[in-house]
Amino acid sequence: MKDKPMIKIKNMKRYYKTGSVIVKALNGVSFEIKQGEFIAIMGASGSGKTTMLRILGLLDKPTKGEYTINNLNVVDLPEEEKGYYRLTQLGYVFQDYALINEMSAEENVYILSLMEGKSKQESISTSKEALEKVGLGDKLNRVPDQLSGGEKQRVAVARAIAKKPKILFADEPCANLDTHTSEQVLEVLRNLNKNFRQTIVMVTHEPWHTKYVSRIIKLKDGLIVSDKKLRK
Amino acid sequence: MFNDIKVGFLSATSSIKRGNKKTLGFIVFVLALIFINLVFLPSMIGGLMGMMTGFMQYSYGDIVIEPSMDNAYINNADNVLQKVRAIPGVTFATKRLDAGASIQYKQKVVGSSIKGILPSEEHGISNYPFIISEGEFLGGLSRAEIIIGAMLVEGYFGSEIYDNLGGVRVGSHVDVTYSNGVVRTYKVKGIMEGTFELVDLNALVHYKEIEDVFGLDESKATSIVVRVRNPDVLAKVKEKIIAAGVNEPVFTADEKSDALMRQAMQSIDLINVVSKYVSLIVGAALILIIIYINVLNRKKEIGILKAVGISPGSIVISYAFISMFYVSLGVLAGLVLYFLLMFYFTVNPVTFYENITIIPEIQGELVIQSIFTMLIMSVIAGTLPAWRVSKENILEAIWGR
Repeated sequence: MKDKPMIKIKNMKRYYKTGSVIVKALNGVSFEIKQGEFIAIMGASGSGKTTMLRILGLLDKPTKGEYTINNLNVVDLPEEEKGYYRLTQLGYVFQDYALINEMSAEENVYILSLMEGKSKQESISTSKEALEKVGLGDKLNRVPDQLSGGEKQRVAVARAIAKKPKILFADEPCANLDTHTSEQVLEVLRNLNKNFRQTIVMVTHEPWHTKYVSRIIKLKDGLIVSDKKLRK
Repeated sequence: MFNDIKVGFLSATSSIKRGNKKTLGFIVFVLALIFINLVFLPSMIGGLMGMMTGFMQYSYGDIVIEPSMDNAYINNADNVLQKVRAIPGVTFATKRLDAGASIQYKQKVVGSSIKGILPSEEHGISNYPFIISEGEFLGGLSRAEIIIGAMLVEGYFGSEIYDNLGGVRVGSHVDVTYSNGVVRTYKVKGIMEGTFELVDLNALVHYKEIEDVFGLDESKATSIVVRVRNPDVLAKVKEKIIAAGVNEPVFTADEKSDALMRQAMQSIDLINVVSKYVSLIVGAALILIIIYINVLNRKKEIGILKAVGISPGSIVISYAFISMFYVSLGVLAGLVLYFLLMFYFTVNPVTFYENITIIPEIQGELVIQSIFTMLIMSVIAGTLPAWRVSKENILEAIWGR
């Protein structure tokens, strides 16, 4: 199972039109991801890493190319099914946390389980478990305004992992955090990967983050320039 | 669907619980004013119309027959009554004898119009029997008894504006001097309160009393008042009365009111209808704008919810809940404000021509209609923009484009 590719990307392109100029954010990218990998997608600003992650997270659509998860062509899924797929199979951690300000940490997490059809009690207990996993078991009822940047990001991680997704995507999860807090967040991700074989794809531009990952894909001008597996 | 409702409810409650209270207060205040705008003016106009209609019904019923120009009385009134009562569509008819008189109690004297009525017949004709606030209405044998209007009695609403009979009460004896100089003493059997001057400044005695005082025979009347089953066909009933051989002038209540009052009522009615619809449209537009702005301010939140997999259905339901909550609070605040205004204007009525007061009429049907309209508008106003935003591209919604 471990050797079987989970995600297959073939010749993926994403072009944007800004006025009369066509920006080639991704210009023919192909790679595979196996279950249990912790991948860092790196590259300079404008290299296409965030675009790539958004497509992988089904938040955006490629202009061309194939994208399958467990042999399911997810690109052509109708919007409603994509939404359901995001809810049940994928987890996404945004750079700016993307929490609902009027919901407590617990509510931000358990709303997804509720959406999945779990009972309120079950949803609350799942949410509690996820928040404890990221070290926020004592801050369940705090709203985002009452949390530090690192804590907010950990709530976002808890929200993404509570439903036990097949793949967890993280878009520069430490961009707004200091080194110490960044380490805490990355530690959480590494533990998930190590202890629960959670597949993680993370976009980062910080070289020191690579010590937590098992593979590095480097992008430049919308193309993969290196794909390196690390011995862990 | 059930999951959508559960998630929509959670999202709505947390938004309401932890949202900006000042914004909530402002929205509720504006919605309360919208509600007031829908119901207050029609209530005032309703009061005005009610006053005018009420006045005409006491004096003229639906149709009134009066003496011809050169006669002070309708002669053969019983004969006329017989003809009128035989006409299909006529439910009740009675004769009345009116006379001018002064009423004295101790040292206080007031001028008044005394109406001679047949008490048992008035139950089907006017509201006189039903507006007795103290004592009882006249009976068939009430020959030495009188009903006096509330504004002639000290302490009653409006009595301070006019000359009144001081501390006269039920059981007191008053002297009535008729226009021909005959003086009769009556025991006050009741006090009537119709809330408008043209009733509350009058007095009622038995028909036979006026007949005796003026030495009239049994077939005289100053008016014959008629009630019909369907007030929409008054003109047809009037034609039938004339066709039955009644030679005295016959008027519908509408015709009896003078042209100015008739036009005034028609204009007021038109203003009322226009005002109701304009208020409704303005109210609906305002609700839509308020909720729309609210939804646009939360565009990013909608984008986030969609991005993490919350269905558009539950997002729409959440905003429907939120806007229904806003509008329910607005309606509640509006109702409190409305009843306070009604109370204020009932205690301090709008007065014009010095003696005509308008007491607003609480229009239950309109209030219920307005509540439902606002709730329906709230659902549309909440769901429409939320539905639009929920259909937008996730990234654009998050970026707020």
